[in-house]
Amino acid sequence: MTDVHTPQADPAGTEADPAGTGAGPAGTEDGPALDAVLGERDAADAPVERPAAVAGHFGAVAWARWAWRQLTSMRVALVLLFLLALGSVPGSLLPQQGIDPAAVQQYYNAHKTLAPILNDFGLFNVFAAPWFAAIYLLLFISLAGCVLPRAYRLARSARALPPRAPRNLTRLPNSESYPTTLSAGEASAAAATFLAGRHFRLNRGDGWLSAEKGYRREVGNLLFHVALMGVLVSISLGGLFGYKADRLMVEGSSFADTVTDLDAFHPGHFVTAGDLAPFSLTLDKFDASYVMSGPDRGQPSVFDARISYTAQPGGATRHYSLQVNHPLNVDATKVYLIGHGYAPEFKVTDGRGKVVYDQATPFLPADQATYLSEGVVKAPDAKPDQLGFAGVFLPTAVDLSGQLESAFPAALEPAVSMIAYRGNLGENSGVSQSVYQLNTTGMQRVGTAQEVLTPGQTMKLPNGEGRLTFVGYKQWISIQVTHDPGQVPALISGVVALAGLVLSFLVRRRRIFVRAYGDESGRTTVEVAGLARSDVGGGFEGEFAELSRDLREQLTASSKEQLTASSKETE
Amino acid sequence: MLGAAACGGQIADNTPASNGSDFVAGDGTATYYQPGHRTAAPAVSGTTLSGSKLSLSSYRGHVVVLNFWGSWCSPCRKEAPTLAVLSEKYQSKGVRFVGIDIRDQASAAQAFVQNFSISYPSLNDPSDQIALDFRGTVSPAAIPSTLVIDQRDHIAGRVIGTASYGSLDSILSKVTAGT
Repeated sequence: MTDVHTPQADPAGTEADPAGTGAGPAGTEDGPALDAVLGERDAADAPVERPAAVAGHFGAVAWARWAWRQLTSMRVALVLLFLLALGSVPGSLLPQQGIDPAAVQQYYNAHKTLAPILNDFGLFNVFAAPWFAAIYLLLFISLAGCVLPRAYRLARSARALPPRAPRNLTRLPNSESYPTTLSAGEASAAAATFLAGRHFRLNRGDGWLSAEKGYRREVGNLLFHVALMGVLVSISLGGLFGYKADRLMVEGSSFADTVTDLDAFHPGHFVTAGDLAPFSLTLDKFDASYVMSGPDRGQPSVFDARISYTAQPGGATRHYSLQVNHPLNVDATKVYLIGHGYAPEFKVTDGRGKVVYDQATPFLPADQATYLSEGVVKAPDAKPDQLGFAGVFLPTAVDLSGQLESAFPAALEPAVSMIAYRGNLGENSGVSQSVYQLNTTGMQRVGTAQEVLTPGQTMKLPNGEGRLTFVGYKQWISIQVTHDPGQVPALISGVVALAGLVLSFLVRRRRIFVRAYGDESGRTTVEVAGLARSDVGGGFEGEFAELSRDLREQLTASSKEQLTASSKETE
Repeated sequence: MLGAAACGGQIADNTPASNGSDFVAGDGTATYYQPGHRTAAPAVSGTTLSGSKLSLSSYRGHVVVLNFWGSWCSPCRKEAPTLAVLSEKYQSKGVRFVGIDIRDQASAAQAFVQNFSISYPSLNDPSDQIALDFRGTVSPAAIPSTLVIDQRDHIAGRVIGTASYGSLDSILSKVTAGT
């Protein structure tokens, strides 16, 4: 119906075009497979049986057909693709649950009426919203609805017999005709034997013979289309059953791949907490080396995170050197090293003289070139007042006329510069806070005699309200844990698709037609014509000339044999 | 690059265990499991913040409340007074509370315990191994998470996120009544 120019429409076409104008079948041939997908969709677009055409009694089945045609049309696929892009926009304008839950919380507090409405539309978790899934699903069905029927047609075409030969072979672009001493039937039989020997698929009729070769092209096409579906399925497989998670680890610390122990967790729709690979990982030591001199001074040369891990609780401990682009593979889950930084170690003693904080605190790099890093220390259990400190860590501190800067990313002269606060950190309200930010609304800045500390130095708050000691520093790494079950199938599908495409480009599908007929005087004429159904690379003319010549020699040889045989009989 | 979020209370919303629309950290999702629909809890043991050994097997026959917390986590700070009160209230009914302090350091954790006058012990679990042991059962899906384990070592209830007095009290009253 819609296949105005698909391969199996061709036999009819050739029949309906007895003159065999050549331009007909060759011209309507589908192009390279990639074009074919688009071309097919356009074709599906064009002759849609529009409801108006059969107005009056337009039944449910017809409506369903019409809807299906629309859905699988190129136009609708493009609209869906556009909607998908449009749908991701709120994800970048509004805070997202999966990325920054604290920001969502803040938005909730700031917009008490609007936020619940936005939430009803799933705008705080766009990629998990039902409407987003609907668009994705429709797009998937649209693509499948295009590719699968096409794959079926290709499969049929790959099994089809060549159509009967056109009546007037000499009008085809490649043709020859010559006389032979064989009878029409003998010539036809000899040509059939010859072409079968050249691995042509044959179809014979009264006085005509048509042969076709190059079905591997359809196999390539078919592979391409099926593999294309494979890519789509693999990607959705990864999206539904895969997950991605982030975690920051300070040297000496451990982490278990469980939901409670991840900084950020982006699971697919069907991922449950139990699906996470139960490995544990300890960061033993992290080394970052930098170029010390020359024009690349300060550029990183090596990042090496030495880790030990167990694949299962209670399993054997193994060691690994985690590097950029050298991920750890454990239990079909990959662990990537994606960032690093410094974690100065602080000790906070409160007004009562109690140590209320003593740990390495990750600071986030604010300047990638010098690794000047920012961070905060929160001591919510300090008494009488909660204490907070905000400041910077300078790996190589230099004093530029009163302004403290970092001159190099390696920790050559580490120092911190901290500002002290006391009051209410706002943590007891239960609202999640970033550990990298200090909410100073309920706090009061406290002047201290000293703000810059080198390792071992202590800064005292006035009136014995507490003190902060800069003990030393550790380094941290950030890792990404990814599990994508669609990765391998997607790769395989991609390779198969490429192979299929190459095959469909390289293999030429061509037909040879032979007609042999005798006239009143008893002479037999053989007409041979060739038609390339797809000749992207060119060169069919040469192939035809060669084939035709060989066929002619074959016919001549057959007639000689016959002559010899008959002369022997007469002797 | 870095998950800047401090507390994982929100993570629950991405897991099937919770309802997707509920993401205000603090509205903990509470679930009660009827007898006969409870999974067995794994063995839990470790070292407490004060340095002594503790194994849950020593609480056999008691209802045990396991609370996963960290001193750095705001929702944990919010629920701490509730847990302190409930642990006193249910002490006489044979309920034992145990904290699991995760991703934390000793000094900050001890300051937290003193500050909120928490009388029950907490196991020190910086690398979250205990949560890993709960894999495949009813797992704690966020920080904080609270699990209620019945007298026969089966998980009878779970609160994801900040436990409110009402939600935990209602689970505990059912479990202690043996229903």
